Amino acid sequence: MLGSVERDLAHRALDTARTRGATYADARFVRRAVEDVLVKNGHLQNVDRSDIFGFSVRAIADGAWGFAASPVLTADEADRVAALAVEVARASALTKREDARLAPVKPVTATYTTPVEIDPWTMRFDERLQPLLDADAAMRQAQPTLRTTRASYEIWREEKLFVSSEGADIAQTLYETGASIAAESVGNGEQQIRTYPGSGGRSQNTAGWEYALKWELAKNAPRLADEAVALLTAKQCPQDIRTSVILSSNQLMLQCHESCGHPIELDRALGTGAAFAGTSFLTPDRLGSFRFGSEHVNIAIDSTRTGGLGTFGYDDEGVPASEGWAVKDGVFVGYLMSRETAAALGKTSNGTMRADGWSRLPLIRMTNVSVMPGSAGTLEDLIADTDDGIYMDTNRSWSIDDKRLNFQFGTQLGWEIKNGKRTTMLRNPTYTGMTPEFWGSCDAVCSESEWVMWGTPNCGKGQPGQIGHTGHGAAPARFRNVRVGVVN
Amino acid sequence: MSGVTVGEGALRSICDRALQAVDGDQAEVVVIARNAALTRFANAAIHQNVVSREAELRVRVVRGTRVAMVTTDRLDDEGVRLVARDASDLAKITPENPTFGGLAGDRDLVPAPSAYVERTAEATPLDRARAAKQLCDAARGASLSAAGYVATNMQELAIANSLGVWAYSAATTSDAELAVLGDAGSGFAQRLSLDVRTLDIAGCAREAVDKAKAAQKPRDLAPGTYEVVLEPYAVRDLIAFLGSQLTGNAVEEGRSFVTGKLGQKVTGDVTLVDDPFDPKGLPRGFDLEGQPSQRLTLIERGVAKAVVYDSQTAYRTGQKNTGHALPPNPFQPAAPMHLRLEPGTKTREELIKESKRAVLITRFWYTRWVHQLRTIVTGMTRDGTFAIEDGEIAYPVKNFRFTQSYHDALGGTLGIGRDLSLLVPGEQFGLQVSSYRVPALRLGAFTFTGATQY
Ligand SMILES: [Zn+2]
Repeated sequence: MLGSVERDLAHRALDTARTRGATYADARFVRRAVEDVLVKNGHLQNVDRSDIFGFSVRAIADGAWGFAASPVLTADEADRVAALAVEVARASALTKREDARLAPVKPVTATYTTPVEIDPWTMRFDERLQPLLDADAAMRQAQPTLRTTRASYEIWREEKLFVSSEGADIAQTLYETGASIAAESVGNGEQQIRTYPGSGGRSQNTAGWEYALKWELAKNAPRLADEAVALLTAKQCPQDIRTSVILSSNQLMLQCHESCGHPIELDRALGTGAAFAGTSFLTPDRLGSFRFGSEHVNIAIDSTRTGGLGTFGYDDEGVPASEGWAVKDGVFVGYLMSRETAAALGKTSNGTMRADGWSRLPLIRMTNVSVMPGSAGTLEDLIADTDDGIYMDTNRSWSIDDKRLNFQFGTQLGWEIKNGKRTTMLRNPTYTGMTPEFWGSCDAVCSESEWVMWGTPNCGKGQPGQIGHTGHGAAPARFRNVRVGVVN
Repeated sequence: MSGVTVGEGALRSICDRALQAVDGDQAEVVVIARNAALTRFANAAIHQNVVSREAELRVRVVRGTRVAMVTTDRLDDEGVRLVARDASDLAKITPENPTFGGLAGDRDLVPAPSAYVERTAEATPLDRARAAKQLCDAARGASLSAAGYVATNMQELAIANSLGVWAYSAATTSDAELAVLGDAGSGFAQRLSLDVRTLDIAGCAREAVDKAKAAQKPRDLAPGTYEVVLEPYAVRDLIAFLGSQLTGNAVEEGRSFVTGKLGQKVTGDVTLVDDPFDPKGLPRGFDLEGQPSQRLTLIERGVAKAVVYDSQTAYRTGQKNTGHALPPNPFQPAAPMHLRLEPGTKTREELIKESKRAVLITRFWYTRWVHQLRTIVTGMTRDGTFAIEDGEIAYPVKNFRFTQSYHDALGGTLGIGRDLSLLVPGEQFGLQVSSYRVPALRLGAFTFTGATQY
């Protein structure tokens, strides 16, 4: 945990900012250690460690915002960066229409550390590597014709200190662990991929090495390899039909991320990303009344739940972690907020401001935005309850418009459902729709036993670009009358 | 050079100290130093305004075929020593990788035109705020709202290895992006220049405002397959996706549309080159391994000619390294970084005039692979989509979702613009390595698979 050296520099920077005319300032010191390891086709392809440490100052002067950052941890640099943040703020005031206002928060002195069972940073390297080598070998043993096999993990430790001119002093240490395997096949004019446990990259949690072990990569490897090869000759997903669709838990998590998580970012809804990320169909006049989905749809905003990638003690404005709802019984009821955007709606922040390391400005980011479980039992129960439809598993492709309405997703594999039974494997499945209609067609969500807290370590936002780590719990769910099959 | 850069001498000394501190058979040191500044505005006011000094020192140590990489952002003596030690220690405990071919050796670099302009490196917060204000005021003058950014960046790149490689470059960019928004419809423009003094703020404002005015109150147009005219912003997306597949790694993994097709026709009559020495691009004559980057014709009049390589993919596949290594990324080790789609002879207006019934697209948004091997991409149109009727822009239309094979779309090339726009990737994180010079295009068939209400 960061300590007195950083604290002294932070106070020095805040003093300088105040002297230069800042009416508010905060300083953040962030040290991030990451290790990425990739095994590819049986060999350790990449081991990449980084230890990145720097600080930034955010200030309001002349009623406008400034920000400056540096990796040089000296008193002189603290002065330079603080003065620069104020200079930048004064330049911002050139276009000011009204003074920046912050919703109140009680300044606290506090610490927080992610609970971990096995600290990966104290393990031997070969102990972390072996599960990847085993899983990679198991895939190639099951299906020697696979073109590419991969197994990877990432471990992460971030120590941060937040000090504000209002008197907050918060030190946190956050741990993350993620792992995944992938099998890629080529042939028959096709190229197919299967990944586990999540899509594309890793599924990641705020947790220790126990999270990597939990997925039993080697045990699942042969099934994954078999599916990747079977997909090469599987039946093509039907084109342009309407049918019932059951989404796997990891696909529903991404559907939630893109079509609920982003549009409930209040900065976005207020237009601050209009040139880039876009705006939101969930405009403030719709808060509390707009029907987002059916009564089966309940989506929580919760940064307190153990394991989520959006779980912490305090956000990067010193606001404590909290629980609430984005969608309750199908109605849109809550935003992800910052102190400034909350003030614009006469509310207080629910603590969602997070920056990608020391060099970036905190932005509203999803914490854990989760589709809460329903009562449809297990996935097998839900399939048994479905006469005719398609089960779609694990994301392969995703796209959504700049108001977060028109989306199209593809999954790695599909299964035809006939008379309550999973029958034929389908390749290249896709589905498309409009967000409120789609969630409005949800008529069943599986129960707690199927609910998984997923984590996406690759959410892009902002200019300059930032990568966010967001958590999403989800269970399989069924949607009726969905447009399926648009690959041409 | 001035105090805004670290400078070649200081970076060389950092690299030398790191190489000396390493315990291993081979070692590579890469240093990136940046000053990044971006002034972002929305609702016609600056709301995010950032300046950061950034540094990255990466040491890769090789022992036999054991390889390890460690990165720090400390450039001081102790930081250099620690990162060299950590990488050396890590390389002792990693298993052998028999597919590793050793670091690339020293090869002569061909000097590229300078990409550094002092005035850009020295741009102040007030310079950027004034440009932002000019963009906001232009929109307000038309009773429209503005959102976008003005950025200035300076980046230095230094690469050294124990086999004698040494490469250094300093580069600057200034760029502006503007979306102009009305109640029903928006417009967009982007400009980029190495020299902040020639950054065309007025032209950027005029283009986005004019487009936004024309885009108000869009009508419905049924999805389907249409002839299209793509503005350069949309062409950039198409070229970026195809370029990412024109790599040795994509061919090796069997996911490239040119796998087994070098020498065959894969698109219509277009020529795509990777030209690291293009003085109108963001020139840099070496890659992220310090190897000379070759100028390559990747597609010549529709025929697939070449793909690009980094040292390791070249070694594994028995090909020649073309000097196109990206920053270390095991999923995408190399890419063409200076793509140019060669110009045609038509003005943008002529491309429109020759279209009887077509859709004019300003830019694409949220484009993602649906199927890499077939280069099928889905995404949206955005910020100005219009119906063309009888050679005229007839009326604005609501945005579409498309699902389309990009190389198939180029197969139906009907016309190529004569003017090239210098553009950079839409989503940027850290080091700026890629740029594009692309014209407007007229394509015979493009498939829209969904519509929107706006
Ligand atoms: Zn995201």
